[in-house]
Amino acid sequence: MNGARPLLPQGSELAAPPNRAKVMVTLFTALCITLLPWADGLRWLLPDLTLMVLLYWCIHAPRLVGLGIAFALGLVTDVTHGLLLGLDALAYCGAAFVTLSLQKRLEGFDAPRQTLQLALLLLGKEALVLTLGLAFGRGEADWRYLSAGLVAILLWWPLAMLLDRISGRPALPDKAAVE
Amino acid sequence: MPHTPQAPLFVREMGLPSRFALYVLVCLLLLALDARYSALAWLRGGLNAALHPMQRVLAAPWEWSQDVAGFFITHGELKRDNDHLREERDHMRITQQDRQTLLAENNNLRQLLALPARPDTAPRVAEIVQTVPSPFARKVIINRGQVHGLAAGWPVVDAAGLVGQVTRSYPLTSEVTLLTDRDQGAPVQNLRNGLRLIVSGTGSDKWLEVRFLDMHADIKEGDLLYTSGIDGTYPAGIPVAQVVKTEPPRNTPFARAYCRPLGGVGRYRHVAVLKPLEQAPTPAPAPAPAPAPKP
Repeated sequence: MNGARPLLPQGSELAAPPNRAKVMVTLFTALCITLLPWADGLRWLLPDLTLMVLLYWCIHAPRLVGLGIAFALGLVTDVTHGLLLGLDALAYCGAAFVTLSLQKRLEGFDAPRQTLQLALLLLGKEALVLTLGLAFGRGEADWRYLSAGLVAILLWWPLAMLLDRISGRPALPDKAAVE
Repeated sequence: MPHTPQAPLFVREMGLPSRFALYVLVCLLLLALDARYSALAWLRGGLNAALHPMQRVLAAPWEWSQDVAGFFITHGELKRDNDHLREERDHMRITQQDRQTLLAENNNLRQLLALPARPDTAPRVAEIVQTVPSPFARKVIINRGQVHGLAAGWPVVDAAGLVGQVTRSYPLTSEVTLLTDRDQGAPVQNLRNGLRLIVSGTGSDKWLEVRFLDMHADIKEGDLLYTSGIDGTYPAGIPVAQVVKTEPPRNTPFARAYCRPLGGVGRYRHVAVLKPLEQAPTPAPAPAPAPAPKP
């Protein structure tokens, strides 16, 4: 055993690309989870799971999800929030755009390193919604809702691991083993 | 490698940035249309009607668990509730007797004064099915909508007092903006001296405020504020708030009074939606006096 790894993944490492059904089912499940009747006191801690799953697929299946799906999901979220039509759609499109632009880079990182890159995005989405709501004169913002972004950052790693299992994606080659 | 005739050699589609710009434009258009012109009620209503069954299904297990939990209620609780309800019923009977005589007297007096009859409102009971997960608005969703005859603008009350107002009605559900929302206000009258005021929400469930109060206004701690009925939306005589403290003017020429809402804003599960008055009790004066009919 010389420890050298082939440049291209081979054998069991070659995962089938995620299919459309899996992507749609996970996105729908995430949307359903956010639609559950959560207790009022916990609302501000509830991370935007739909966005997180969307970003995961933007990174790992950029051919299957894109700005169109982000827009549609945002619109649905807007209707459930009843605040302003287009607010979440804008935030989702923005987040999807940034992720898709950085897709090549993000794909190469493992989940904890992705967290560092996506933290700004997950937090920025909450801030954007709050700021735009304020700008369009929807009363006083409840800034506690920013902590939903923090919870989302903490949950990215477990979520990415879970979705890795679902999509059958093998773990990234261990850096130590490569060297 | 299998031959794939659909796959073009050169990708002919817009680049990511231009597609993004397009979507941003659409979003901003939607935002502007919704915020400034409220022109998208149909889109919102349609999407909401489509989502409603899904939300009901998702909420069902939670409701069942509530029902099961409610089944195993202790004897002591039942007895306490029973006593409480009996007490309340006796109390209400007494006030009801009073009400009958007062109503009759009121009708007589109105007939004597040739005033229009006091409009009657038939309440429709609705259940709060959901709160809106938004950092801005204090809103709830009730399970009655256009199908049940509800429309935007109808007042919502509970057993203790005013709760809010229907602000959007979808086919099967309606959105109620609570009285405590910052943009919500109700015209009230001080029960003690009949002073007319406007109570506004503060964004907190516990507080309401009277914002632009005259420096010398006669309003004291403990005063009860009831709807005055002069806006043509809320019927008169619904309890709204109790004054908790008054604040003398500091940097502004106006004083402020802080009140506690009397209705269970954000507490109860069932509310009643009232049909608003048919016509405003104080019609605008006619611009020119009508010519007297020739004899």
